[in-house]
Amino acid sequence: MATPLPAFVARRRPDWDSLKDLLARQRSGTLRLEELRTLDVLYRRAAADLAHAQTFYAGTDVHRFLNQLCGQAYGAIYQPPRERLASTLAFFRRDFPRTLRANGAFVAASAGLFVLGILLGALVVLLEPRGAELLVPENLRDFIARKEMWTDGILSVAPPNAVASGIATNNLTVIIVTFASGILLGLGTVFTLINNGVHLGSVGALCVHEGMGPKLFDFIAAHGPVELSIIVIAGGAGLMVGQALIDPGELPRGQALVLRGREAVKLVLGCAPFLALIAVVEGFVSPGDFFSSWMKAVLGLALGALFWTYLLRAGRNEPGGTS
Amino acid sequence: MDSAASPNLDVATPERVALSLPVAGIGYRCLAYLIDVFLLFLFWVITYFTFTLLVSDVLGFLEGLSGFTRTLMVVGVFATQWLYWTACEVLMGGQTPGKRLIGIRVVRVDGSPVGVLESAVRNLVRVVDFLPGLYATGCLSMLLTRQHRRLGDILAGTLLVREERIDLDKYTTPAAEAPAVSATTSRVRLAPEDVELILAFLTRAPQLEPAARTRLGTKLVDRYGGLGETERATVLASPQATESFLRTRVQAER
Repeated sequence: MATPLPAFVARRRPDWDSLKDLLARQRSGTLRLEELRTLDVLYRRAAADLAHAQTFYAGTDVHRFLNQLCGQAYGAIYQPPRERLASTLAFFRRDFPRTLRANGAFVAASAGLFVLGILLGALVVLLEPRGAELLVPENLRDFIARKEMWTDGILSVAPPNAVASGIATNNLTVIIVTFASGILLGLGTVFTLINNGVHLGSVGALCVHEGMGPKLFDFIAAHGPVELSIIVIAGGAGLMVGQALIDPGELPRGQALVLRGREAVKLVLGCAPFLALIAVVEGFVSPGDFFSSWMKAVLGLALGALFWTYLLRAGRNEPGGTS
Repeated sequence: MDSAASPNLDVATPERVALSLPVAGIGYRCLAYLIDVFLLFLFWVITYFTFTLLVSDVLGFLEGLSGFTRTLMVVGVFATQWLYWTACEVLMGGQTPGKRLIGIRVVRVDGSPVGVLESAVRNLVRVVDFLPGLYATGCLSMLLTRQHRRLGDILAGTLLVREERIDLDKYTTPAAEAPAVSATTSRVRLAPEDVELILAFLTRAPQLEPAARTRLGTKLVDRYGGLGETERATVLASPQATESFLRTRVQAER
């Protein structure tokens, strides 16, 4: 038999109030061990009260109050483990390269699309130089027509670390858009990859056509390999998301998407520190004549090789299960 | 009691109790976003004036450091544009300051708190939700999905739940004055819905138009009072007496 509602509230309210207090203290992080035990006990009691309210007082404010209280306590008790430094290190030592290797096909497909874009852009400009008017932005064309590198222009105005940080945000935007637009059935990623490829290809071809090939190579050599790799990896992550939407397999679309999303974002987050490093190279080493072309090329190749060795080798022989 | 109108997130806890949390709609989310954006704007205004008024002009060493300050600025833009949301959500239990003020919280679809990965996903996809401007894609997605989720939420497997401020005092407030008629004399038992109805009336009564206050009070007394002619007349003499009677009627249920 149900107790009348006001009597039920009056009898049980002290427990709920103290549970609420404990939850507030838990949020601010000042909870002792015995209080934690009390929290657990009170949560179970509140859950029992909720079950009671569900049966006898469904739809009342008490019911809604208990729902909310138990929801907060549930959140506090079943928290995800805190991310500590050790888990971050483990992520870079094992988790990130493993995830990448497990999804190598997507990264390869992304690389394919990117190269396709580069070839398209380059072909158009080489076969029909006027095509550059369509594909290359006007301010870049002006620089190339004056036989100047646009990066020299940036450098002469702003100090190098400003260049580095500007480049970092720009690359970051490209990478985030490449990944995030995967949610548009993967079409956004495909478009961004090809678009960036065409842009790069057409600018490169125009430079070669105008006899500035060596200068462009001089600028790109040091940071190009790693930076383009990162864009390709972000593209792979975007394609993973798109694939989960189009072909979710045996799971419902929503679940497949969540599963893939968690994997894909690991690829993007894993790239972040390397992106920061390569932005420094791009800002300090690539522009200007402080380093000769061949030194830049050697540096670029070495960095690229290191990056890919890390991606393909790290965490391969360690225990810890398959990714 | 508006549970039919707004969607709920149903969670089965390991304690075998079904939780049902109200989902936050587009209005709540919009308000929280505006507050967050305002806070970030305020941060930039203050930073701007601190730098221009105090640092650069007075001491004049900003020219020498301008590369460094520009780097700082780019890092700041990065932080306010990308880090703010994820850092807040992870550290504040699924809430940014705006969300906390409005009383909404990000949770996973199973009701558990968000981790770094989920928060990162939903905030990276913000770019796409913003397309082609002013969150057009995100708003469309919120209107079309049952639990008002934008694309970032769908990909991350998260949603926003509402935290209401529910006042339990109304159940236990003692009656203002001794009722003219003993409420324990009538014997129809009140169902929880009836208690809730009377309490809802009592909470709102002070704000009602006098005519409506009397009319609703009379209806409730007639329905739940079970009184004789003379008793009814004394109870209905003033709104205070009516409400006092109704409150005692509810309190008598223990």
